[in-house]
Amino acid sequence: MKLQNPGPGEWKLFLVWASIGLQSFGGGASTTFLIQRAFIEKHKWISIEEFTYYWSLCILAPGINLIGLTILIGKKLGGGLGIIVSLAGLLLPSAAITCALAAIFKQVEHISAVQAVLKGVIPATGAIMLLVGLNFALPIIRKSYEEGLLSLLANSVLIIICVLAVILLKLSAIVVILGAIFLGALFFSPKQDSPPFYDERKRQQ
Amino acid sequence: MINPFIYFLLFLKASLFSTGGFSNLPSIHQDLIGNGWAEESSFGQSIAIGQISPGPNGLWVISLGYLTYGYLGALLVLIAITLPPLLVLVISAVYTHIEHQRRVQGAMHGVSLAVVGLLLTVTWTILYQPDVDWKGLLIALGAFGLALSRKVNLLIILGLAGLVGYLLYR
Repeated sequence: MKLQNPGPGEWKLFLVWASIGLQSFGGGASTTFLIQRAFIEKHKWISIEEFTYYWSLCILAPGINLIGLTILIGKKLGGGLGIIVSLAGLLLPSAAITCALAAIFKQVEHISAVQAVLKGVIPATGAIMLLVGLNFALPIIRKSYEEGLLSLLANSVLIIICVLAVILLKLSAIVVILGAIFLGALFFSPKQDSPPFYDERKRQQ
Repeated sequence: MINPFIYFLLFLKASLFSTGGFSNLPSIHQDLIGNGWAEESSFGQSIAIGQISPGPNGLWVISLGYLTYGYLGALLVLIAITLPPLLVLVISAVYTHIEHQRRVQGAMHGVSLAVVGLLLTVTWTILYQPDVDWKGLLIALGAFGLALSRKVNLLIILGLAGLVGYLLYR
């Protein structure tokens, strides 16, 4: 486990989240990327393992996953107050701007220049989303590669199955996740109950 | 005439039975159109605004709130989408008690693989559109390279992409 910096104060936490909220243009495809960069790489307040752990919990929660992620990171770094401060930072400035843009948009939507700019921004959004996906995939692929060729193959195949299930079969995200839970329990369970990452972290604290 | 309480509950319900920023759309669409509280065009507009505005992608409903019910609508929607994710605290608390079991570990590994797969399909969904031609794919490639270098601010990357879009498509 990498050494982690001590947590931030509330005001600092608010500012970091506000800056993430305001920088994540492009429909939020970039938000996860910015969270990874700020909390893991820049400030080192959480580790990539914790981040991945939080993210898998958020997938199980209803609504916008990023809000769940904000809640968990906020709680870890500042308790109940941390949750409120983080949510306010992420949502209030960006929601206010979204609202203001909705008002402006009605005036300019027919202008062709606006549509041309959008046609450039949207593919860039897709590219950033790809990097976010690869950031998630890399630790998993690396770990499975260390476990051997069979593990690497099994992990890659399940990822590809999920991709195809959505693109070709048009299954909803919830169905894909439930299917992956089933297949994961079937094929990826360790031989015995073992102390996972989270217990290790608790022991070190 | 919009009933603010029911309006709020419709968005809360849609968010409670969804995962991710866009899967609440069918439910909201059905309810708002059914009540005559939104025009069909408001939905396309809201999603477009969501693409160019900051914040998580689920915030497109904020603009839908504004377009259908003004500032009160935007505020009600903001509250409605913030409450359901709080359940993650319950999930987190339960999960610490069962996570050491081998089947749970396997299942969670399956979830993390599904997450990678789902994220990759988002890229595909965004790029596989009639609006994105080979020039758009080149923009995507350039943006990917810049983001990969980790030296360029994301806002600058998207700004450049917008500029290139303006020069190519106007």
